[in-house]
Amino acid sequence: MNMKTRVAADVNIVELSGRLDTNSVQPVAAWLDQVTATPGARVLVNLAETTFVDSTALATLVRALKRCQQVQGDLYLCGMRRTVYMIFELTRLDKAFNIFVDEEHAIQALTG
Amino acid sequence: MLVALLSSQYARFTAIAEAWLSLGASAFGVYQDERPLVYWPAGHQLARPSIKAPICRGEQELGDIRIAGLSGMAYEQRLRADASLISYLLQLENELQLMTVDLVTSQDQQLALYRLTQSMRDHVTVEDTLRAVVSEAVRMVKAQGGFAAFVPASGEEPLLVQHPEGVLPDTLAWHFYKASRASEREHMLSDVEPELARHGISNVLHVPIWVRGTVMAGLGLLNRPDGFGAPDIKLVRAIAGQASAQIERMLLYQEMFTQTKLRTEMELARRVQVDLLPRSLPVIAGLDIYANSRPAYQVGGDFYDFIVQPGRPLIFSVGDVTGKGLSAALLMTMTRSAIHSKSQFMPYPTPEAVMRQSNEDLYTDFTRVGVFATAFVGQYEPGSQRLLYANAGHAPVIYRPADGEPRLLRADSTAIGILPVSRCRDQILRIGPGDLLVVATDGFSDVRNPDDETFGIERLLDLVERLHERQAAAIATAMFEEVDRFGHGREQDDDQTLVVIKGAAS
Repeated sequence: MNMKTRVAADVNIVELSGRLDTNSVQPVAAWLDQVTATPGARVLVNLAETTFVDSTALATLVRALKRCQQVQGDLYLCGMRRTVYMIFELTRLDKAFNIFVDEEHAIQALTG
Repeated sequence: MLVALLSSQYARFTAIAEAWLSLGASAFGVYQDERPLVYWPAGHQLARPSIKAPICRGEQELGDIRIAGLSGMAYEQRLRADASLISYLLQLENELQLMTVDLVTSQDQQLALYRLTQSMRDHVTVEDTLRAVVSEAVRMVKAQGGFAAFVPASGEEPLLVQHPEGVLPDTLAWHFYKASRASEREHMLSDVEPELARHGISNVLHVPIWVRGTVMAGLGLLNRPDGFGAPDIKLVRAIAGQASAQIERMLLYQEMFTQTKLRTEMELARRVQVDLLPRSLPVIAGLDIYANSRPAYQVGGDFYDFIVQPGRPLIFSVGDVTGKGLSAALLMTMTRSAIHSKSQFMPYPTPEAVMRQSNEDLYTDFTRVGVFATAFVGQYEPGSQRLLYANAGHAPVIYRPADGEPRLLRADSTAIGILPVSRCRDQILRIGPGDLLVVATDGFSDVRNPDDETFGIERLLDLVERLHERQAAAIATAMFEEVDRFGHGREQDDDQTLVVIKGAAS
């Protein structure tokens, strides 16, 4: 798993590639904890290059979402592959997260 | 020196003197700086010696032996031979003395090192060990002060101890340590720069301490009044060697302690998980039921449960709490207990009501610790051929009707602990003869093979299609076998839990 982070239009963006699971999620969790501590934090997780997510990775995203909500911020997801989206759909996490097709649409929604 | 030799070898000198007297000499004497040290016979001071021969050490003349009353070439040669023998004895005596001094020093040092090793046995932390090493090294080398640094490979905080406290600025101590680590050898400064002199440092010796094949620590000594010589360096190296062995022992001890703690925790988690599973499978008219759960080494939070009460429908649950180890096992017991007690004590429990109430109970705690639990709750009235269920984020769940294709049952709400209010609704499934329901946990679909391929949902659907005609127990056994084959001996990452329910003739 690789992670690349940047800030664009005041949105903290992380791009994750490869498998996001128990063994690889730790640095992502640490980054999410850090960026979701700021009041009004706006965070975007780009999963376009993510090939797999396990339940620990899902729990990390859910935890970050809740932390964002506690500080009146937002956390959006974007660019999921079909296999990853299927996991969100099967577990109904598609109802808990705001999911966008790509980064452009997500940033528009976050900053609009 | 000549005096010392005379004292220790007096009998030999007497023998030489007597031999000369018997040859006809009137006197024999040993002289140093023209002063007699000893002479035979008593009272004869050899005021006018006839022959003299020098006693030397190397080029240096230390004294002479002389006789009176005899002269001639043969006597001169013989006296020179005696003088040369005495010179040789002197040289041997000198070497012996040096060896004795070395031996005594070495014995003292060995004793001191032994005491150091003994005293270090009582220490259980690296910091204690370093403190003992520095204070003993300062005492043994007779330096004014010392320090020791340790940089753990595990990324923990580096350690620096000084004796006495504040003997030099921390930055300087780290500077010496880094220099030794970079060059992997000792560093000695005798002509110190003005910067060091400003801090009252006149000389420094820093020796690296090797731990597990790399320089992980260092021992520094400051201000030895006569400077650091070769024996001091040797001694400090020996002390560093002791410190190295002790630090390695300490790290091994700490690792064993952590591993044992982890193993105990894992064992406890496994016991909690296994002990809470139902001891037997329920026997229900119209259903063929099988269930099994295999905890992974790093226990996850899987569970399954059957609630059978006389006169009430069967309720069963399957769930998976996120996380690993003891925390997952504890949260699993909370989830299982919430679902179990609701199913048991609500007057008219339905899967939807059980799930909603459990979510209400657990939401706040789960949010606080940042976890959630997926759960599937089913309810079956014997003979009804109808299964009521609610699914809170649980996957994979596969339904294969007797006359159709296997399909995945999507959850009807998010997992317990994600949203404050559950959106679960009761769903209905036909469970007539031949209809099959397989509720698994993600430990099944997420199994990986050595090529890092995931077993996945598609393979699981194919497998259910292939096995659907068998009995529930046979289906489950074949499914465990198939994922084991796919994993190809790779260690199980997550718990694997399976509940198979098949409609049967009642």
